[in-house]
Amino acid sequence: MPDKKRILVADDAEVVTTLLVSALEVKGYEVVVANNGRQAYDLGADEEFDLAVVDQLMPGLLGTEILAKWRENNVTMPVIVLSGVEDDELVVGFLEMGVDFVRKPFRLPELLARISRYVS
Amino acid sequence: MTPFQAAVIVAVMVFAVGLVLLVGVVSLKWVHRRRTNAHKIRRGEYLRAISQHIAAPGSIPRFSALEAGDDAFIDAVIALRSTLAGDGIEQLEGVVDLTGLIEQQAVKLRSLFPLGRRLRAVVALAEIGDDRAARILLHHLNDRVPEIRVQSARGLARMRYTSAIDVILDRLDEESPWVQSRFAESLALFGRDAVWPLVAFIRVHHRHPKERSITEIIRILGIIGDTEVGPALAELLYTAEDVEVRIAIIDSLGLIGGPLALRPLRRMIQSEDWRVRAKTVKAFGLIGDPSVNSTLSEYLNDASWWVRRNSAAALRDLPGGLDLLHDALNSPDAFTRDAAAEALADAGELVAAQDRLETGLGTDRDFRLVGYMQASVGVQS
Repeated sequence: MPDKKRILVADDAEVVTTLLVSALEVKGYEVVVANNGRQAYDLGADEEFDLAVVDQLMPGLLGTEILAKWRENNVTMPVIVLSGVEDDELVVGFLEMGVDFVRKPFRLPELLARISRYVS
Repeated sequence: MTPFQAAVIVAVMVFAVGLVLLVGVVSLKWVHRRRTNAHKIRRGEYLRAISQHIAAPGSIPRFSALEAGDDAFIDAVIALRSTLAGDGIEQLEGVVDLTGLIEQQAVKLRSLFPLGRRLRAVVALAEIGDDRAARILLHHLNDRVPEIRVQSARGLARMRYTSAIDVILDRLDEESPWVQSRFAESLALFGRDAVWPLVAFIRVHHRHPKERSITEIIRILGIIGDTEVGPALAELLYTAEDVEVRIAIIDSLGLIGGPLALRPLRRMIQSEDWRVRAKTVKAFGLIGDPSVNSTLSEYLNDASWWVRRNSAAALRDLPGGLDLLHDALNSPDAFTRDAAAEALADAGELVAAQDRLETGLGTDRDFRLVGYMQASVGVQS
């Protein structure tokens, strides 16, 4: 039996992490949760993940800061930024960095389909 | 009993009362903390249970009416409602239906007291935000308690339940200024959906501005900022007789902006009423189109001090406006020169000119501005 794909979910909102953990575990993924930016950066830098779903606005470090630090440390896993931020420039910046973006509130099946595309 | 014994007894009693109060406060804090933690834990459990149902389409939710009475369950539903879109919302509505959550909140809202419970119910219905909740909130726009009416309007606006717009408008004049102001905020929350109902209301009632909250509604149009409403406001501007209504329209045109707003304002600048002229030049500044620069420059010489001051402030914010303000320092009119100098100082030109003069890079107009300001200070002192 192949190893489960590992996904890092980083969001300070309990509702988002709980929902994604439930949905991703049903799909057979192993999910690790970070509740703040610092924890998310450390987990991404120290452990192997197939994908990270990262909130932009978190205490500790912002999503953009985490991505920049990961890039500096050659952490190259695919990332989906999940955020309610209404800033088109920021979204364009993410897309130019090769990072996918999903706006909150989000459609769960659409997010799961994107995750599946990256990890399969 | 000696005085010493009496003093000891009083001290002991004060100590005992203080101790009892301290124990009481500590106990209350402990109970509150326990309740908060228990609420948090239950909320987390509900989040997990509902999420598992949403994550597995086709699963049967295991909830009952008991959950709907728990504030932690309501918080979990509200949190998921604001996180999900699309199919997830439909599944969440299935959970809400199964527990009879909306009906329970409606019963709480209909009850006579306590107000805190009623307010929580109205907020919960507003956050849940489906069609049934909207109909209940619509009914409570006539509630006897102002806070409930305000929260109902806000909830309906957040849901963009457009049928509520006319009901809110009809209630406006019966309300106190505080509720009127909160209703106005709610109408602005409807955004573009509210524009044409608001325009229709103004068209019907603008001849009776004292009876209706017309000026408040006109200003809401400015806050919403839909440029398509420019011609309708222009038409109202030409026909309005009340100066307060005209001023409100001018304010709104300034906020809305765009080329359609400029034409009626160019006509208003010729008004005989200085208040209309002062608001018009201010609106020119907000719109930010430099084609009005020469007009503003002309109105730096207006008979009214407010018009001169607002013209200078508008030029300060417009491309090319600072050059005209520097030119105005040569005006034969002392009031015009003062208005221009004040606007230049507000724009940071005075400090920049002083810096350039100190470093030997000053120009003629730097000398003129700094000299004018020094002379003004000298005259005042």
